Amino acid sequence: MAPAPGPQESSRQMNPTIIGVIGTGRIGRMHAHNLVRYVPEAFVKAVASRSVDAGWADGMGIPVAVADADVVLCDPEIEAVVIALSSGLHVEAICRAAQAGKHIFCEKPVAFAAGPIREALAAVHGAGVQLQVGFNRRFDPSLMKVQQAVRDGAVGALQGLRIINRDPRAPAIEFVRRSGGLFFDFTIHDFDTVRFLSGEEIVEVYAAGTALVDEEIAAAGDIDTAVIALRLANDALCSIDNSRETGYGYDQRFEAFGALGNLAVDNLRPTTMSSSIAGGVFVDGPPSTFVERYREAFVAELRSFVQCIRDGSQVAATGEDALAAVLAAQAATVSVRENRPVKLTEIEQLISVEVSS
Amino acid sequence: MNEIVMGILGVGRIGRLHAENVIGMPGVRLKAVADPFLEPDEWRGRGIDASVDPEFVLDDEEIEAVLICSSTPTHADLMERAARAGKHVFCEKPIDLDPERVRKTLAVTAQAGIKVQIGFNRRFDPSFSKLRQAVVDGEVGDLYLVKIVARDPTPPPIEYVQASGGMFLDMTIHDFDMVRYLSGSEVEEVQVLGAVLIDPAFEKAGDVDTAVVVMKLASGALAVIENSRQAVYGYDQRIEVLGSKGGIEAPNEVPSQIRLRNAEGVRSENPHYFFLERYRQAYVDELEAFVTCIREDRDPPVGGVDGLIPLLIGIAATTSLREGRPVRVEEPVP
Repeated sequence: MAPAPGPQESSRQMNPTIIGVIGTGRIGRMHAHNLVRYVPEAFVKAVASRSVDAGWADGMGIPVAVADADVVLCDPEIEAVVIALSSGLHVEAICRAAQAGKHIFCEKPVAFAAGPIREALAAVHGAGVQLQVGFNRRFDPSLMKVQQAVRDGAVGALQGLRIINRDPRAPAIEFVRRSGGLFFDFTIHDFDTVRFLSGEEIVEVYAAGTALVDEEIAAAGDIDTAVIALRLANDALCSIDNSRETGYGYDQRFEAFGALGNLAVDNLRPTTMSSSIAGGVFVDGPPSTFVERYREAFVAELRSFVQCIRDGSQVAATGEDALAAVLAAQAATVSVRENRPVKLTEIEQLISVEVSS
Repeated sequence: MNEIVMGILGVGRIGRLHAENVIGMPGVRLKAVADPFLEPDEWRGRGIDASVDPEFVLDDEEIEAVLICSSTPTHADLMERAARAGKHVFCEKPIDLDPERVRKTLAVTAQAGIKVQIGFNRRFDPSFSKLRQAVVDGEVGDLYLVKIVARDPTPPPIEYVQASGGMFLDMTIHDFDMVRYLSGSEVEEVQVLGAVLIDPAFEKAGDVDTAVVVMKLASGALAVIENSRQAVYGYDQRIEVLGSKGGIEAPNEVPSQIRLRNAEGVRSENPHYFFLERYRQAYVDELEAFVTCIREDRDPPVGGVDGLIPLLIGIAATTSLREGRPVRVEEPVP
């Protein structure tokens, strides 16, 4: 009897989109796994990482595992790359991939400032390739339903959004130091979610930030707790609150309030069991990691990316979306530093001055 | 148990509610009410003296305590007159819209040595007081964040809005009190984003109908209040705190727990319609606390300065709205 086909063997028969994954940290491995396991139209031919694990790649049925990303970028058979490097390396990787003519899926944040993102966008547009950014929440079934309901007028004129986004445990301090800070690494998802759900641009940001969870985060010049008030172009007002550490799980709640009512997305529960005992009624807390909470979304974003490459349609989370979220993060950073509300037009002017000088 | 004899000044909507609660309270007798618009026979028929003149109540030596439930501009004057008459005072919020006037009134009540309680009823809500107790007991560890959603079901008449001092002094003032109460900390600084999204009449009145209010507390924690003058699904009153050991939520309360399941989905009830329904128990419990403090000669849990400080926060919020910047809250005592 012939040995059972490897995980990717079956897809090779159907003219798959051939993909390389650059960066095999936690997220890179997750994306590779999701492509191999759940996106039959894709074939992961190669992974590249300075600390590449050939045994892991082999087990996944990925034929090429190299340290040098150029091997992936120079392979003419590879049509698209997934970039899951440390955030500071994203722009250079996007530019090189675009020059090599590859479609690109890149993790967030693309960069920590608007200038480098514009540079990446120019390379992408110049090469005529697609760039999708890893705003996974746009593919979450609950948030997609809210977005559709808002667009269908279920709450009438939108008057506000509420986002609660809190991590279960503060990340390692080494990660915090190279993350670009809370607003660029973490709140960036919330800024994008505000734009996604409302269909409106952010025009004003006030952010109050502080370090209450971890003294090392304060020493690194970052914050771990924040409340952010936003004004949108239609004058709707939004609130975001963030914490780097809840101790009770990954807290993800969303609401859209309007003239006709309110839509709310509560935390998912790993199981729906409740136990009623002398001390009270207990139910499961939220999932403990973002991987669990957005499991479906992480698959759906790649499935959508591959589909867009195959039929040439526009990706659902673009480089322009990444730019808009980073502008909001910059405004929030200025807001905390100067303790005042900041208009997005100020940030754009600031950037144009920097570029021209 | 010695009987506490009470009078009520002002028997409009809220005064009438308090009257019913006092009438049902053991060990307390409602002796007289005064209101320029009252129907005397209605009260006398229930064995309660009634007059259009507040002096009728204030001159009655048997009356030990008064509830001031008249229109806001009369509160400070009536409080001072009650204090001079040696009567303990329960006063609806706000004492006055002018902090100077409030300070003067509080000086008079302090001089008279009477007990003063302010009608911040939400402190007595069973869920919110339990939430506070859990914070005190350290169940969430160090407090990081207080979040309040407070949305009215329907906007008040525009004439009311014009006289109310604006949303922050009329509506959000309750939320400012809750932030102080739940955190046990003072609000140091306020930043407001406000908008008119419900009715352009608010803009003409120089007010807003929608706001997000961000606060920095003396403890280092943050707080945020979300207000709307109109939530079509009812009185949206939710509170949540987050701390180093976890969080606590007090969700909306509903008239009944029934759930309808059918082909369209699952439907449960909207929140209570408005404050009279939502805080029914709190209105009873705040008066019981007031009476107990008189009986046991203790300081009421919501004293005069607790009436002044939320006013100062509301004024800072109003300035923030107008000037688009964070505003420090003035010290309660000059």
